[in-house]
Amino acid sequence: MLVITRKKGEGLMIGQDIEITVVKLDDGSVKLAINAPKSVTILRKELYQEVQAENKNAVEYNIDIIKGLKK
Amino acid sequence: MEVEVLNGMSTLRYPVFRLKGEKMKITTRFHGTKEYEEKDIITFSKGIPGFENLKKFILFPVEENEVFNVLQSIEDVDMGLIVISPFEIVKDYEFKLEDNLIERLNIREPQQVLVVNTVTLNSKVENITVNLKAPIVINIKEGSGEQLILDTAKYSIKHPLIQEE
Repeated sequence: MLVITRKKGEGLMIGQDIEITVVKLDDGSVKLAINAPKSVTILRKELYQEVQAENKNAVEYNIDIIKGLKK
Repeated sequence: MEVEVLNGMSTLRYPVFRLKGEKMKITTRFHGTKEYEEKDIITFSKGIPGFENLKKFILFPVEENEVFNVLQSIEDVDMGLIVISPFEIVKDYEFKLEDNLIERLNIREPQQVLVVNTVTLNSKVENITVNLKAPIVINIKEGSGEQLILDTAKYSIKHPLIQEE
């Protein structure tokens, strides 16, 4: 893993077409501006993790529950 | 041996040859043995969040209740997701299919698109939820699929299946 230090207003490049700039620093939180092609998916990590967890929850089931479920 | 050309319409330079109508079987954990053919396989090239290593699935209705379908991995018999059409839950469910997704799934017309959402079961019916935040988009003609994550507060990961009146 690469760890680098950036100051406010500085940025970094990932490959040729992804650019991340530190816009604002504020007591424990950092605001980033990201420039990337539309084909790159950018998500808050916890949102992806929530979907991972929910998919895992959705696998473990008792099928009998929906057999008795009618609209 | 009968052979048919698939992907004849696609941009592939060379046609893909497969055995026509060759039946395969999978014995699932909850739904008995299912037969399927090569053309029934839906490929999730990115996998599904939480199951990134599983790429190939089939879709079939739950026998006793066909409002629900099962998205079953053919690489892991224990991995089957119960799914439902989001329009059964929210009539005006909507999200944008981005151009790059349309390209990745090789979508040419709206009729090819099937959207389903996972259902998390619970022994208490009122606790059964549908993940409206992460629709699964399938191109039923091309057999390709991807689970999206919508960055919107409009839809919840745990939307109740049954709305209280």
